[in-house]
Parts: sequence; structure tokens; C-alpha cells
Amino acid sequence: MAALDTVSLTILLGSALILAGVLSSLVALRFGAPLLLGFLAVGMLAGESGPGGIKFDDVRMTYLVGSIALALILFDGGLHTRYATIRSVLAPTVILATVGVVITAAVMAPMAHYLLKLDWTESMLVGAVVASTDAAAVFLLIHSRGLRLRPRVGATLEAESGTNDPFAIFLTIAIVEMLLTGHQSIPAIATSLLIKAAGGALVGYAGGKAIVFGLNRFGLAQGLHAVFVAIGAVIVFGLGEAIHASGFLAVYLAGLIVGNNPARAHSTIVTFLDAATWLAQIIMFMLLGLLAWPGNLPSIMLPALGIAFGLMLVARPVAVFLCLAPFRFSWREKVFVSWVGLRGAVGIFLASIPLLVKLPNAQIYFDVGFVVVLVSLLIQGWSIAVAARVLHVALPRSGASPRRVELDLPGQLTQELVGYALGAHNPYLHRRIIPSWAKLMMVVRKQKVLTAEEAGIVREGDHVYLLAPPERAPALDRFFVDTPTWAEPDPGALGDFILPGITTIGELAEAYDLVVAAADRSVTVSDYFARRIGNSARKSDVISLGAVSLVALHVVDGRVMSAGLRLAEPDAPVPLLPKATPAKRFWRRVMAVPKLRKRKSKT
Amino acid sequence: MPITDLVAPQAVIPALKVNNKKQALQEIAAKASESTGRSEREIFDVLMQREKLGSTAIGNGIAIPHGKLPKIEKIFGLFARLDRPIDLEALDGQPVDLIFVLLAPEQAGADHLKALARIARMLRDTDFANKLRDARDAEAIYAVLAMSAPTEIKNAS
Repeated sequence: MAALDTVSLTILLGSALILAGVLSSLVALRFGAPLLLGFLAVGMLAGESGPGGIKFDDVRMTYLVGSIALALILFDGGLHTRYATIRSVLAPTVILATVGVVITAAVMAPMAHYLLKLDWTESMLVGAVVASTDAAAVFLLIHSRGLRLRPRVGATLEAESGTNDPFAIFLTIAIVEMLLTGHQSIPAIATSLLIKAAGGALVGYAGGKAIVFGLNRFGLAQGLHAVFVAIGAVIVFGLGEAIHASGFLAVYLAGLIVGNNPARAHSTIVTFLDAATWLAQIIMFMLLGLLAWPGNLPSIMLPALGIAFGLMLVARPVAVFLCLAPFRFSWREKVFVSWVGLRGAVGIFLASIPLLVKLPNAQIYFDVGFVVVLVSLLIQGWSIAVAARVLHVALPRSGASPRRVELDLPGQLTQELVGYALGAHNPYLHRRIIPSWAKLMMVVRKQKVLTAEEAGIVREGDHVYLLAPPERAPALDRFFVDTPTWAEPDPGALGDFILPGITTIGELAEAYDLVVAAADRSVTVSDYFARRIGNSARKSDVISLGAVSLVALHVVDGRVMSAGLRLAEPDAPVPLLPKATPAKRFWRRVMAVPKLRKRKSKT
Repeated sequence: MPITDLVAPQAVIPALKVNNKKQALQEIAAKASESTGRSEREIFDVLMQREKLGSTAIGNGIAIPHGKLPKIEKIFGLFARLDRPIDLEALDGQPVDLIFVLLAPEQAGADHLKALARIARMLRDTDFANKLRDARDAEAIYAVLAMSAPTEIKNAS
């Protein structure tokens, strides 16, 4: 009976701890502290050196739970990533996730060598342990702060954090093996890395396809879809690891494939996995908190802090600036990417591997890893929103978050039901327009369900449900999400017609009888902007072209992707807009930060 | 210059029933063919060619397809109100229900641009666009178009 009592006690204690973790989020949110820190703190408080006094030193258990949790977190990360986003940042991401990790580890090694007095291979291990940015931390911090980053910066950060974990894990395990078995040659390590990556990619691809196939082919009961996918993810991970491929890469790829293929119950799966990811985060951080012995920390605190700051201020920026040098990122963006090199559970998790295999000095790696993660979450995590604003990489918030409900319709995959609540300022109430690909099916009014015909004219307070293709559901937001003030500041200021950047000047001259230089005829609008005002164009920049003007509309990294065609003023001379001089552009850059702040305080 | 010098009363379509851009331009080309004497196909091609450069939707449910049509004597305008709005890839994402077509003779140059600018500015006025939306029939629409002229000149000066 005593054994049963222990089990019940463990259940009670474990769940109470998790509950404490969940509730700690309230406190963390109130103070704007990163949530993950709250979970870690609860674990530490409950642990041996805290008031909880729970003795927990089961590294094997931590590794097991940590692996599963990490697999789910990575899968969820893949699930939320669109192919289109990742494709646009593929090259910088891959380089950051591979070369970047190596550079970070290499720059960290001398610091570890001198600060911790370890030998060179051991110092490399310290570097590898702290080299990867944490997907969970980056995703969570960016999303929970409601930050809207410039798409390219956000996508690079998320894709990098998702893909560099597998690489840091390779590197760590390779160095651990080196320390255990004596020295291995660099080429041997490189080959084994390649084989692991290729194997992981293969398992991930096949596993992702199999999950999609199973979802769509098996007639699973409603509640089982999400469970099927979650277990599928863990199986993909386990399979990858079992055949000595990278399970972490595999599970991320599988998530990517499931998230980007039409599959049944997509919204249920996403909701379920979001919840599972939260639970995984809480459990993982709490276990790591429990495992840490803060009592041991003071002796190693100073060198560990040195490592943490060296990482934040030297190693990460060096790696980012070197890796992103060939790509078109502005310095502000590079600084931001450097600053958001958040470390998280992966770092502590990797730091526990030496403990698991009982390497000499294992405790040092763990303590250093722990301090680095703590400092990173505290300082970088807390300041991420400020950094985004100061560095001018955040986009202004676009109104309230949509209240869209998506309902899967079993029997087919091409349509789903999309629901909206209509408030007083709903655009639909003013314009009564529904895109041709959507169809109003029913209206819920005063708790009564009515068909579209029965409901007649939709009014304020109704909930409407439309039939629409799932991939176009987000586009419905424009028609049905309440927008308190839908006011374009100055209609027409951005031009009368939109032109994609690939339009050539010759085509425009032909269409509007414009007088342009023969040499400019084959130049595209994008290049024409670059020629006239250089590579730092900004939205609303204007250049003249014969009798009309071109206004920069959509600008990515200083390059004009689409422009507005502004026709001449009626019966008025065409204004000759001066070309922005370098001095003017510099002034604009200097003024950019305060301007942004002003705009914010006004809204 | 009043706007009615560009549009004849018979060049107003009060309730065009179409489902997409291609159909809309085909129907409009057919109507324009009656007044200009040019072939339906030719007019459709001219309008489509301009659409290929980028959408002519200007936002707020309005589009102004246009192009140069050889061998017509003067600038020709046609106004169509759609029975049901269609998607024309406008920047603001709003489906279009008011279409003003403008066809200019070859070498109209500045006049073509001026006419386009005038129409764009006129239709951007939300009150004016809503009057066009609320007008009962073709005559009423034409009356709104004719009325627009004096206020437009006042605003411009």
C-alpha cells in the first residue's frame, strides 16, 4: 500500500506543480516577464535548494521528458510555418542554422577556455551547448508579445530557431562522443552530421506525408485526429533517433508538411498542439528548474555570467553579421536578429547530456548552460519588444485580433465553415459585400440558428457563418472583422493604379504615351526606383516619370516591390518632386525612431 | 470639362450581371463596340493588355479599366454598375461594383491622362460613388454623372 501512496502523492505533487506553473503565467504576464522564466522559477522553488525541498536528480527522466516535449514544440513550430514564408528566407536561414551555430560555438570556445579553465575540446562543448537559439522561446516571445515583425525578419528568426536546434544537438553529441571516446577527425564528424541530417530529412518527409495520408484516409473519430497527429509526431521523432538520424530535424519537417498540406480537422489539430506545446513547455522548464541546483551556482556565477554576456554581445552578433552579410538585410535588422538569439530549454537540455553520460566536469556545463539561458530570457526576453521598436523592425499593429471561427466539414477538404461575430463597426454592415468564392450559409441571432434566407438582412450582434475554401479564410477577415476606424489617411496619395515591380518602364510609356529615355525602356519599375533613389527606398517615396509619378507602395529592404501610378493633377502642372539627397535620407533615418513613437502615442 | 462629354447616355450599364473580371470586360467590350464601331474582340484585348500591367481597381469598390484604341475619333467612356461585386485584386481588397471604362485614341497622350485623373478623383469621392450605387436606373445614373461636373470643377480650383 505504501507504494500506491507514493504514486498518488507523486501525481498530486506533480499536478500541483504544473498548476503552479500555469498560474505563474498570470504573474509573469502582469510584470511583462517572459513566461518561461516563471515556469523555471516554479521548478527551482520547488526543488532541493528552494523552499519546496523536493529531491530530484533523475537526469534520465529529464532527458526523456525533455526530448518528447522538444519534439512536440518543434512539430508545432513546423505546423505554423508556411512554405511561402520559409522559401523566401531559405538561404539565410540555412546558413544561420549551420555555419552560424559553428561560428557561435567557435567564438565562445576561447571565452570558455579562459573563464572556466577547460581544455579546448571541452570549451568547444560549452560553445555548442549554448549555440542554438530556442524555437520555443523565440516563437513564444514573438507571438505572446503580439509583435508584428517585418515578415522577412520574423520568418528568418523563426525558421532559424526551428532548424538550428537539430544542428546544435548534432554538434553537442559529436563533441560529447569525442570527449568520451578520444579524438575523432573533423571529416568523420562532418560526414556523420551530413548522414544524420539527410536521414532526418528523409524520415521527416516520409513521416509528414504518412500523417497527412492517415488523417485524410482513415475515418478517425472526431476527437482522435489531433491525438493521431501528436502521437505521429512523437513516432517520427522516435524513429529518426532510433535509426541514428536527427529526430529533431525529422519532427520539424513533418510538422511543416502537415501544416502545409490540406488535411482534415486542421484547426482542431492546431488548437490541440498549441495546448500540448504549452504543457510541454511548462513541464520541460519545470523539470529543468527542479534539476538545477541553485545552491551550487554562486561559485560559478561570475564566469558563467561572463559567458552569457560574451554570447549576447560578441558571439551571436559576430555569427549573425557574418552569416547575413551576403543577403540584403539592413544593419538594424541584423542587430535585431542578433539580439533575439534567445536561448531556452534546448540549451539546458543540451547541457544535461554531459550529466547523462557522466562526462568529467559535467556539472560545469549544466550550470553554465543554466545561467546563460536564465540571463538570455531575463534580459533579451524582457527587452524584445523595445528592441523591435527602437530598431524599427516592428510593423504597426493592425487593429484587433480577428475573431474567426473555422469549422471543418467532414466528407471533403475544399470547403469549411468560417464564422464571425458582427460588431457595430463591422465592414460588412456598411458595404454588404461578400467575395464571390464565399457563401453566407447561416446566421446565429439571439441564440437562434437561422439559414441565410430566414435571417434576411444581417444586423449588428449577429454571428455569420460562411462557406469558403480553408486557404482563403484569412482573406475573409477583411470583410468581416470589426474595424473601428477604417481610414486611409489620404486616398489617392499612394497613386491611382497599382503596378507590380516587374512592369517595365517601356510598357508604361507605351500605355500612356510617356516620354522616357530609350535606355530606360527595358528597366523594371523596381530597378528604376533603385536607379533614381538608391537601395533605401521607403513607402511613399515619389519619382516622376514623364507626365506621371510613381509612388513606392510595397517596399522590402529598400527595394520597391510594387508602386502606385499617380496620374497628373487635373488641369494642373505636374509637380516636379526632387530626388531625395543622401543627406535628406540620412536625416529621415535619424528621425525615423521618434516618429514611430509619436504615431504610437497618438493611437 | 463636364464628365458627360466622355460618356454618352447609352454608354451606361445599370446592372451588369457578371462573375469575374474576364466576363465583365467581355460584356463591357460588347457594349462599347456598339458605340465605337470597333470590334468587341479588339476592345477586349486592349483592356486586358492594360490589366496585365497591374489591376486598374483603385479601391473603395471602384475600377477604371482603360487603354488606347486605334482609329476612334475621341476619348470614349462607359460606366457599368455591377449587379454583384467581383474581385479585381484591388489594393484594399474590396470587391469592385463600379466600373468606369475609358478608351482613348492613339496619341491622345495628355488628354488621356487628364481624363483618367479626373475620373479617378471623381469616383474617389465616397458620397459621389454612393450616389451612383443608389441611383435607380440608367437615367438616374446618368443624371448623377452629369451633376458631378460643376462640383468637381469647384473642388479642383
